[in-house]
This record gives sequence, structure tokens and C-alpha cells, in this order.
Amino acid sequence: MWRYVAKRLVQAIPTVAGVVLVTFVLFNVVGGSPAAMVLGQNAAARSLEEFDVARGYDKPLFFGHWTGTRALEEVDFENAPPGVRAQWGAGETGGLRLEDGEELALPLAFPLPEGGRWRLAVTGGGPGFPHNGKKFRGFSTQWKKCFHSVENPEFRASGGPVEIRAVRLEKATRHFFDSQLLDYVKRLLRLDFGTSASLNQPVGRLLLAGIGPSLALTVPILIVELVVSLVLALLCAYRRGSWLDRGLVAVCVALMSVNYLVWIVIGQFVLAYKLGWFPVWGFESWKNLLLPVLIGVATGLGANVRFYRTILLEEMHKDYVRTAFAKGLGEGKVLFKHVLKNALGPVITNVALALPFLYTGSLLLESFFGIPGLGYLSLNAIHSSDVDVIRAVVLVGALLFTAANILADVALAWVDPRVKLS
Amino acid sequence: MSGEAEIPEPRAGVSFGREAWRQVWASRVSRACLAVLAVFFLAALWGEAAHAWYGWKDITPPWQAQDLAARYLSPGAGHWLGTDGLGRDVLLRLVQGARIAFQVGVVSSLIAIPIGVLLGCLGGYFGGKMDDFVVWLSTTFASIPGLLFVLAIAMVVGKGLLGVFLAIGLTTWVGVCRLIRAEVFRQKERGYVRAARALGFSHARILFRHILPNVIHVALVSFTLRFPAAIGTEVFLSFLGIGAQGEPSWGTMISSARLRLWQGVWWELAAVTAAIFAVVLAFNLLGDALRDALDPRLRTAQD
Repeated sequence: MWRYVAKRLVQAIPTVAGVVLVTFVLFNVVGGSPAAMVLGQNAAARSLEEFDVARGYDKPLFFGHWTGTRALEEVDFENAPPGVRAQWGAGETGGLRLEDGEELALPLAFPLPEGGRWRLAVTGGGPGFPHNGKKFRGFSTQWKKCFHSVENPEFRASGGPVEIRAVRLEKATRHFFDSQLLDYVKRLLRLDFGTSASLNQPVGRLLLAGIGPSLALTVPILIVELVVSLVLALLCAYRRGSWLDRGLVAVCVALMSVNYLVWIVIGQFVLAYKLGWFPVWGFESWKNLLLPVLIGVATGLGANVRFYRTILLEEMHKDYVRTAFAKGLGEGKVLFKHVLKNALGPVITNVALALPFLYTGSLLLESFFGIPGLGYLSLNAIHSSDVDVIRAVVLVGALLFTAANILADVALAWVDPRVKLS
Repeated sequence: MSGEAEIPEPRAGVSFGREAWRQVWASRVSRACLAVLAVFFLAALWGEAAHAWYGWKDITPPWQAQDLAARYLSPGAGHWLGTDGLGRDVLLRLVQGARIAFQVGVVSSLIAIPIGVLLGCLGGYFGGKMDDFVVWLSTTFASIPGLLFVLAIAMVVGKGLLGVFLAIGLTTWVGVCRLIRAEVFRQKERGYVRAARALGFSHARILFRHILPNVIHVALVSFTLRFPAAIGTEVFLSFLGIGAQGEPSWGTMISSARLRLWQGVWWELAAVTAAIFAVVLAFNLLGDALRDALDPRLRTAQD
């Protein structure tokens, strides 16, 4: 048994790595520059660079020896806008021309900081183009050179005029894998989820504070829903084909088709505001939880009853049920003693896979009813573009889901001897 | 040929698809669902045409035209479903909402189904390393909590419908992929595939010309079952203000109607609720009927 648990844990490693990679790609690669998001689009290049260096955002995303810098925007004279051309002193069209002996003047946004290593990559051609660099594709038109000195990442035409097509300034990284991805993984291993930009608090602390209220809402929903839907599904299966069964199935499909938002809006309006049966908003006593739990159960009930009913009916077509009936057992005994036990597997899986959602809480229920849980936190973070909070909630949710999957498999193996452990 | 008599004569002209269609059409409920969906689809098409027309003419469309003298009119002769807080006609806005809902359902499916079908086919057919990769990718995507993943993608892509399309499309291919992969796995061992392989056909030809037509019904069923979920997600995102921008989507309508509800203006919310209910119910019932017709193995369970 323990070997099985260990094996499932090992199998989960690629998934966890995948989840880390997906969150990284989503928020760090696609998400754009966090510096511009925090400091604004018009911030000076120098303060943006300092922001990036302080947080490691200046490093390459995945790996590399060289990385870009904001001191000099990469330029390609083929399609540079007039403003950039004027900065470089280039003419109206074509590349930037240098006469013999002339040095390329770099329009740096700020002086390069001390202690770094720089590389200037110049693409161009002409009689004066230096040939001491690397040759590309058999032509001497591409030229790259590494400058170790800070002061003068320089380029000079010697022995004739030069036409330059593109210029790029790069900063050396500490080592090949010194990247944002590595930093991200290192931080996660230290359980450091970053800092919420809008609330100015460590994300880890926010998660811990939110998990209690979320569980207070979702655990009752899960339990009540499980009990009610299993009972209704058993009723349906017991009286299958009757008006009760058909009526319940029809009600379930109808319940499934009412939009989730509408449940909350109308439930809150009618039951809490108009009739005054429940408090409308807040998180002071258990009474505040009654209505959200009721609505939560109502929204999931239709799908759950149908699911359990299908499972129970599938079980009722099996041979052992026919045998039980044939030897004269009553319908109730077959249903509760034989069928329910054998249908336990899918029920356990279903419940286990619902467990991670206990943690995420219910986004809308929490914000509608003012329950300060993780759903509430997430929605606020979405509204204020708080990347670190969202990333942490997504990541922890995915890890819990993976854990719940393992839990489900182990529980299944435990209750059902037919499941092979190999 | 001597073997001719032994080959059982196929039933003349009745293909699997046509047989399934006949079965779906035979049910009165399915026909009603199709009728409801046809009405909404035509409304969405009309909404699309009107949207394009007013956009091309560059004039304010009637569903955006504000008339503060006609605020909060209850349903009546002039405005069949009443007006909202800015005097805009609810029925016209509802039609525009249908346009966006159908757009989201179709476009997100156009993203999710090709990804799911392609990966499912490759994984199921080739097995081995390829299958490991497909399983890894789908497990990774499946383990990220759905709604949060959708929100995160929409947030990263930015406000607007593009974010909604991508968010729904990139999170829902997993289900299609798993179903197709399992079905391809089953079909791979069938006689016709072995025969095709024995004839020396290329993998691509066997996979896409022989196996794919036999598994594509899975994608059809999952399309009809996914559509209501996509509509629900769009409503959710638009409600939060990160979906449709400046356009009357069902989500934005609920968002404004819920505030008016406290003042006794019920018709806007009622109209949107009824519209969503009708579309989603029709898709749910039709999806069940299609699944029963196309997947006979599941029929016993439905009783």
C-alpha cells in the first residue's frame, strides 16, 4: 500500500512541474512587463531598470548568457520610426552611415552601471566594417563582439565607410541558467509566493487568512450536497422510470440550466432582502453562512443527482444485481446493501476531486455575501491586476488538485480490493 | 466473385450519422430544443448583421441609444421587454447578448476542439512517448482550477472578448482530448484499421481518413455539451467586467439589472434569466439526446 502511495507521488512530479511551468509562462512571459504595470508606461527607463534588477525581471526568462537592457532599445533601421532614427542621427531612409574612423554614438537612456559585462551586437556591412568578429552565413555583414569593459561598448569604422542595419546592447548573466524561471522555482521552494502589490502584504499570509472563511463556506456545501444528492439519486434509482424519477431528472436538468449568477442575485434579493429570512451581507455569525450554503447546494445539486443516478443505474445492470434479485432479495436490500457499496468508487472520486474547490472557495458567493475568503481575495486581485496573488491561488489550487487525485486513487484502492495496486 | 454472397449487405443508404439524426429527430423534446436553438441562432445572426450594419454606417445602434425620458419603462407595446436605466430597449440588448453568447460558444469551440482532437488523435494513435506527452499536458491543464485559470488567462490577455475566447478555448480542450484519445485507442485495434495498415497506408492517412471520421461524433457531442458551459463562463466574465466591453452582453446586463432589482425593476433580469435558461436547457437536453444516439454504449446507463 505504501509503495503504491509512493508511486503515485512520484507520478505526480511531472504534473507539478507542468503546473509551475504553465503559471510561469502565463504570468511572466505572456503577462508583459510588471515594471510598466506598477510604475506606469511613462516611467523613466532607469527606474524601470532598477525595479527589474531588484526583482530579477532583468534576467532572461528561461536561460541564456546574455539578456537585454533598457539602457538602449534594440534598433533595426529597416523599420525604425522617425523619432528613433533622429535619436541615432540616421538619415530619412536606409541604415545608419558611419564615415571612416567615426565612432558609433549610442543614445543611452542612462549611463551603464558599474561592474557589468556588456556585449554590443552590430549588424551591417561596408569596406570599413571590422572583421574581427564572428562571421555569419559566410558573409562578413553580421558582426558581433563582446566588450568586457563597462565604459566603452564601442564600435568604430576603420578603413572605409560603414552602413549599419541594426544595433543591440546586451548584458551578461551570471551563469547560463541564471533566469527568471530558476528564481521562480527557488522562491516557490522557500514557500515564498511574493507580495501583493495592492494590499502590500506577503501573499502567503493573505492565503492563510483567507482559507478559514473559505472552508467555513465550502465544507458545509460539500457535505450537505453529497448527502442530499445521494439520497435523491437513490430515490430515483429505486423508483426508476416512475413519475418521481422522471420528475426529479427533469427538475435536475432545469436546475442545471439556471445561471449560477442568477441563483445568487435572486436568492440574495428574495430570501434575504424581501423576505428577511437571512442576513444580506457580512461574516459575523453562522447565520451569515446559511444562505450562501443553501445557494451553493442548489447550484450543484442538479448535476450531482444526475451523476450519482447514472452511476447507480449503471451498477444495477450488472450480473450480481440480477443474481441478488434472482435469489429473492427485496429491492431495497439490493439497492442499499449491494449497489450503494459497489458504487462507492465513483462517489469517492467525485468527492475527492471536489476537495480542491473547498480551498478556492466560491468566487462569487464570497464576494456577494462579503465572506473574506480566498474567492473574495482572488476576485479583488483580478480587479486590481495583482499578479502575485492570482498566481499563488492558481498554483496552490493546482497542487491541491493533484494531491486530491492521489488521495482519491489511494482511497479507491483502500475500499475496493479489485483495484490492482501495481 | 465467389465471396460476394458472404459479405452482409449494408442497409441501403443509412449511415451511422443519418441513423443517429433520425433517432434525435424522432423525439419531440429534441425537436423543440432544435427549434429554440434555431430561434436564438437566427436572433444572433440578425444581431450580428445589425451590429455590422450600424458599425459600417458609423451611427449609434438603437440598443445603445439612450433616452432618459423613457427610463425604466415596464414591458409594453413600445418596448416589448421594457427599458433599462438609460432608456435602452431590453429586447434589442438581449438580441445583442445572444450574438455575443453564440460568438463565444463558437469561437471558443473553434479553439478548443481542434487542439483537443489533434492531441487526442496523436496520443491515442501513436501511444508511447507521444501519448506520455499528451497525457502530461492534459493532466497539467486539468489540475489547474477551472474558473481561476479562465480568470487568470483573461486577466493576462486583457479585457475584452479576445481574452474570453482564449480563456475558454485554452482551458476546455482537455475534455475533448481525453474523450477522443480514449475513442482512438479503441478504434486502433479494429479490423478496418489493421486492414488499412496492411495495405501500407501512411499513418496520417489512416489516422485522419479512416479513424477520425469514426471518432468525430465525440467532438460533436462535447461541442453541444460545452456550449452552455462556455455561455455561462462568458456571462461570468462579462459580469465581472473583464469580458465584453461597451457591448450589451448577458453578463453585463445581469450586472446592471441586479442593482436595479432593489428598486423594483425586475424585467431586465427576468428577460436575461429566461434567455440564458432557454438556451442552456435546450443545449443540455439536445446534448443528452445526441449522446444517447451517437454513443450506444451509454444508452443503458440512461435507461
